[in-house]
Amino acid sequence: MKITPRPAPAEEICLAKVYVWELPVRLTHWLIATSIAVLAVTGFFIGNPSLVSPGQAGNQFVMGYTRLVHFYAAIVFTLSVLARITWMFVGNKYSAWDKFIPARRVRRKGLLPTFKFYSFLLRKPPGFVGHNPLAGLTYCFVFLLYLGTICTGLAMYSASAHVDSPLRFFSFLIPIFGGLQSARWIHHVIMWLLLGFAAHHVYSAVLMSTIEANATIESIFSGFKYVPREDLIFSGYRFVDRHTERGG
Amino acid sequence: MDQTPSWLVEELERRGVSRRDFLGFCGVMSTALALPTSAGAKIADAIERKEKPTLVWLEFQDCAGNTESFLRAGRPTVADIVLDTLSVDYHETIMAAAGHRAEEALAGVVADKPGGYIAVVEGSIPTGANGAYCTIGGRAAIDIAREVCGNALATIAIGTCAAFGGLPAAAPNPTGALSVADAVPGVKNLINLPACPANADNLVAVIVYYLTFNRLPPLDAYKRPLFAYGKTIHDNCERRAHYDAGQYVENWGDDGHRTGYCLYKMGCKGPVSYQNCPNVGWNEGTNWPIGCGHGCIGCAEPDFWDQMTPFYSHLAGVPGFGLHSKVDRVGIWATAGVAAAFAAHGLVQLGKRSFRERTYVKAAAPERPAAEEKGDQA
Repeated sequence: MKITPRPAPAEEICLAKVYVWELPVRLTHWLIATSIAVLAVTGFFIGNPSLVSPGQAGNQFVMGYTRLVHFYAAIVFTLSVLARITWMFVGNKYSAWDKFIPARRVRRKGLLPTFKFYSFLLRKPPGFVGHNPLAGLTYCFVFLLYLGTICTGLAMYSASAHVDSPLRFFSFLIPIFGGLQSARWIHHVIMWLLLGFAAHHVYSAVLMSTIEANATIESIFSGFKYVPREDLIFSGYRFVDRHTERGG
Repeated sequence: MDQTPSWLVEELERRGVSRRDFLGFCGVMSTALALPTSAGAKIADAIERKEKPTLVWLEFQDCAGNTESFLRAGRPTVADIVLDTLSVDYHETIMAAAGHRAEEALAGVVADKPGGYIAVVEGSIPTGANGAYCTIGGRAAIDIAREVCGNALATIAIGTCAAFGGLPAAAPNPTGALSVADAVPGVKNLINLPACPANADNLVAVIVYYLTFNRLPPLDAYKRPLFAYGKTIHDNCERRAHYDAGQYVENWGDDGHRTGYCLYKMGCKGPVSYQNCPNVGWNEGTNWPIGCGHGCIGCAEPDFWDQMTPFYSHLAGVPGFGLHSKVDRVGIWATAGVAAAFAAHGLVQLGKRSFRERTYVKAAAPERPAAEEKGDQA
């Protein structure tokens, strides 16, 4: 993919093409994004059905179909989230769990400089190749929101699931959320939090793509980022050629 | 076992209830209990032959609404007779005895039949002020409950107050009210029959089940019998077709309301409430709240005064924004606020960058900084 770096200083920066986001990461990213869009639209309608269908009830199934789409999108969403969580333990280092939970020192040390960059105190973000530590921590909370919305959704689904349905199993979640009505409320509020996150996420991606000129936006399609060699070294990674990066 | 197979038959004859009515009742009971129709004969046999179970009915912090529900019959039915002919040895509201005599009757049951009587508890049990908020004959409700329920064969907590604390336990719970399960730790064979008030038909069905099978009906996680609380109101609602079709009451008294559309948008809590109201109905099946055009308020759910309010809104408000604040309005403004904040951030970033690039050109471009700490301080 062709990238156009910002007008650079005279000296040449040595850019390395790094395979950052593997296919399962990109795939789950877009499945999660699309399913959230579908879930938000259908979920908003389910919470506040503003269309009134005329005629006999027997000839209409507006809410029924909306719920059907919602449930299928929820299946896609849940399985994508679970697949992405699994990939945290089997994928490459950029997708690993420790990019979300700052367990390692280099990640914790990177939190403050990243925050300083976002609050204009640093001109350039610290050169992490994958998620920067602050973004990773944010995604950690986002994953918690995912789990919250999945669990409240399963709790509500279990209430109306068919008697023989294995999803009845999730009725044990209902008391944990303080009853179905509060599960409903939590489910609804998480939708708004995720929409707020989406606004932040798109903006941050554009910002990083512009400031770092490393093809952040393009990378979620192609998988590749263009990273200055010294950033690779800063991040604690041995520099490797893109052909051997997958194993490294 | 008492070998007087005809106590019920005699009673029925005396009151002019035919055997056909009695068998009809047994069929209805087998339906209410979700048993095969053939179970009706077994139920009839069991009810006719069993010894009258002894029952004591305790009232604590309550409005006697469940007693009203229990006594509500407009015409003598078999259910009334089953309940009447239970050996109700103690019931403050309806017993003839009063004062010490009444308390002696209760003490006598506990002393003579330990582990052999059914305790029905109505109302919540206060613990504040050392239990002084509710005393009977000088004894605190919690002491009576522990003694009577602790020695009972089974305890039926009837009504939401006894089952979950109900209105007295709603925030801020000034009397420290507890449900039976919380007030009597380790109570044996507890059955919760919540609702405000509980449906007498479900109480009869529990007793009939016990008489027939000699054990208690299967219960859910909240110790509610599954035959009555196994499905949400929404899933059995007669207006459900309008919900799936997308036909809702928008305002009280509008065309949809008069047509009998779904009350979902008027805050009906049917989708989050378990009970068999749509099937059993109230006042001998005459009608039930949604049938009358009023949404369900979820009266059989735990903490319903705190959870289900506001009764006429789909969702509660956002804490800090007022009880009637709309989640969606707060959500839209919050999301718009986030977007605006980032737009402002972007503008600042763009401004700084264009300024810096002009400076770069003037200063013939210093080397690109390597990383964080060495990054230029803006």
